Amino acid sequence: MDPDKVAAAQQGDALALDQLLDELAPYVRRLCARIAPAAADDATQEALLAVFRGLPSLRAPEAIMTWVRSVTVRTAIRLARQHDPEVAAEDTLMGHHASSPEGLVDIDDAVARLPVSQRVVLVLRTREGLSEQEIATTLGIPVGTVKSRLNRARAAFREAWGS
Amino acid sequence: MTYPGASSDIDPVDRLTILAAALPGAAVAQRRIAAPFDAVWRVIADLENATPRYEPGVAHVRVIEQRGELLRLLVQDTTGREHAMDARLRPGWCLMQSATVVIGFAARRLGSQTLLAHLEHERLQAPMPRRSQPHDRGAALAKIDQELRTIERLAVQDRH
Repeated sequence: MDPDKVAAAQQGDALALDQLLDELAPYVRRLCARIAPAAADDATQEALLAVFRGLPSLRAPEAIMTWVRSVTVRTAIRLARQHDPEVAAEDTLMGHHASSPEGLVDIDDAVARLPVSQRVVLVLRTREGLSEQEIATTLGIPVGTVKSRLNRARAAFREAWGS
Repeated sequence: MTYPGASSDIDPVDRLTILAAALPGAAVAQRRIAAPFDAVWRVIADLENATPRYEPGVAHVRVIEQRGELLRLLVQDTTGREHAMDARLRPGWCLMQSATVVIGFAARRLGSQTLLAHLEHERLQAPMPRRSQPHDRGAALAKIDQELRTIERLAVQDRH
């Protein structure tokens, strides 16, 4: 992302903002679809609104992607919890799966059935390629919590996938 | 020129709402236009002929350069002053910008009708024609509403 372009957008250059939207939207949409698949459109719109609302006050244009990721992930988590409350609680994928005899269709479906807190760390680690430290920074939680959630998510995923 | 990664996934009206979020003080209003999308967009896209008919501060518009979606315009206001504008135009999306103002249009098909959103934003407090520089939000929204009504009239006339 060109810092000069970001700076121009921050100063109210509408065509730079338009171009920035072109570049950010696919990334924001992808993250939202993976974290909040049942509310991907709403999450994408809300995340982009939050990003553009906060853009003028972003202090480090060169760090825009890290900031966009953090805003998007937090928005997607909130929307996922609103749209998927029974999975949002700390229940397990196995428990959910047991009540879903139709079974799992594919990997994305299996990930989507994880509790939100586990789904997020799994998506960010395995699909987005973030380190545990980057995930901790993005979510504002300790690295140890990221590790334990990843372990639970992997175990739940393996159990569900193998059943 | 097209931008890499250009996304048509976001509905244009939603896109204009997002853009407005980064332009503090921008005035945006929408109107359900009783004309099909194509008729409405013919009016918006006809920058040279239609703009002076719905924008009270504009006397003439001339497209002086076009590269794909990107246009360069020369706009003469009703006091005779000329302003250079850059624009991006494609079906459902029109964004124009000078050193002092931003103008946006976004359209969504609603069956045989059209949802048209219109944004106006002052970038700088530089001297501009008085009628193009409403000083409060209410006046800005009233101006936009009037322009949307005029565009509707033009679009409906265009069908007949």
